[in-house]
Amino acid sequence: MSFTTPYFTLPKFVYFKPKNIEEALGMLKQHKGRAKVMAGGIMLVNLMKERQIFPEYVIDLKNIDELKKINVTENGIEIGSMVTAIELQNSKLIKEKCPALAKAASFMGDRTLQHTVTIGGNISVGMPSTDGLPALMSMDSVLEVRSSEGKRFLPSSELVLGIGRTSLKEDEIITKIIVPNDEKVMGTYLKFINASEVAIATVAVTVHHEKKKLALSVGAIAPRPYYFDNSSLQWNWEGSVAENIKRASDVVYKAVQPMSDAVASAEYRKEMSKILTARALKEVFGGA
Amino acid sequence: MRTISLKVNGIVKEVAVEDNELLLNVLREKLGVTSVKAACWRGECGLCTVLLDGIPVKSCMTLAVEADGKEVITAEGLYSDERAKKLMESFVKHGAMQCGFCTPAFVVTSHYVLSKNPDIDGEELKKELNGVICRCGTYYQIYEAVKDAEKYYKKEKV
Repeated sequence: MSFTTPYFTLPKFVYFKPKNIEEALGMLKQHKGRAKVMAGGIMLVNLMKERQIFPEYVIDLKNIDELKKINVTENGIEIGSMVTAIELQNSKLIKEKCPALAKAASFMGDRTLQHTVTIGGNISVGMPSTDGLPALMSMDSVLEVRSSEGKRFLPSSELVLGIGRTSLKEDEIITKIIVPNDEKVMGTYLKFINASEVAIATVAVTVHHEKKKLALSVGAIAPRPYYFDNSSLQWNWEGSVAENIKRASDVVYKAVQPMSDAVASAEYRKEMSKILTARALKEVFGGA
Repeated sequence: MRTISLKVNGIVKEVAVEDNELLLNVLREKLGVTSVKAACWRGECGLCTVLLDGIPVKSCMTLAVEADGKEVITAEGLYSDERAKKLMESFVKHGAMQCGFCTPAFVVTSHYVLSKNPDIDGEELKKELNGVICRCGTYYQIYEAVKDAEKYYKKEKV
């Protein structure tokens, strides 16, 4: 077998492995437009193999330890963008405070890849099938985005603009994901896949029982995940759970406008988002 | 071209690589470690799994320069580990292969899983091994073989 044909090889590039964020941001500024950031690298390497992107420089963030931490601060829970899917699943704090994210992490690629896949990389590629973004949206999280000029805060719902397009500028890196630190949070994440393990529809739910707050996000059906909250779902905290779930899943069914592709038709996706919404809400609110 | 140092199965090796070379190619072509198989080239089948600093990674998705200064362990390197040797014997005993192409990857992955948690329950074990594909479909035998080898890893721990 020849290893020189495309698909087995990568296009030429220069590899950098900066030791801290400032160095990485400096390199990004210097090579603006010609460099790509590498987090876990799965998507980047695959896109390069398929000759869809040709970066001249690859900036690997794997040596930057400050991006790999999970901290609790007065802002909330700060998850570094280079935290891996395995770490998210094993972290007690994440399991307790961000259950939807912990569960979504268990769907990011297979078990071996989960040691490599990072939450920052998962959401910043801009693929509709991202598992991280619906979970983060249901938790109303905010992304800390840094460039050499400074930092800004971006609501997770405003990250993706279309397939493969995000609102990140060429010299920006997601450094942290900030999730509100609330007590008594419940949540779940459901993913409906076909035999090729490509997502047809995903639903993330996060419920704050004390605050009487509910947020739901439907992903994989359109370029951007859909977001619903108490009011848009017409959720009535005093009413019966079964009725609420029925009403909420009908709202989702009417609101979403899915895409058709090789994986599933729009009608199928529409139906599945309704069913998954009901299943996810049942799981969180119990029985009904 | 740059020179990287890799500790492959206990031996430190200096090797000249291009920035865009994959760890898989360097292991197979330049270092002669052929238990690492090249199959799908896109991180789906897991036959190129190696332990990089003790963590399983797919070497077809890893740049060689990423592994600079790290330790790579493959199925060949596991043969010096008594527990892993018993695990491999268990694969033979249970006939956990047909063509045998995926066996090194399953050995490496299940060695990682068992050395981390020898008391793992059945369903959890199946989930842990889902990163490797056996095209012949000998999953049940592989599962039996790994389950059977649990005891050797437990002994070591006590």
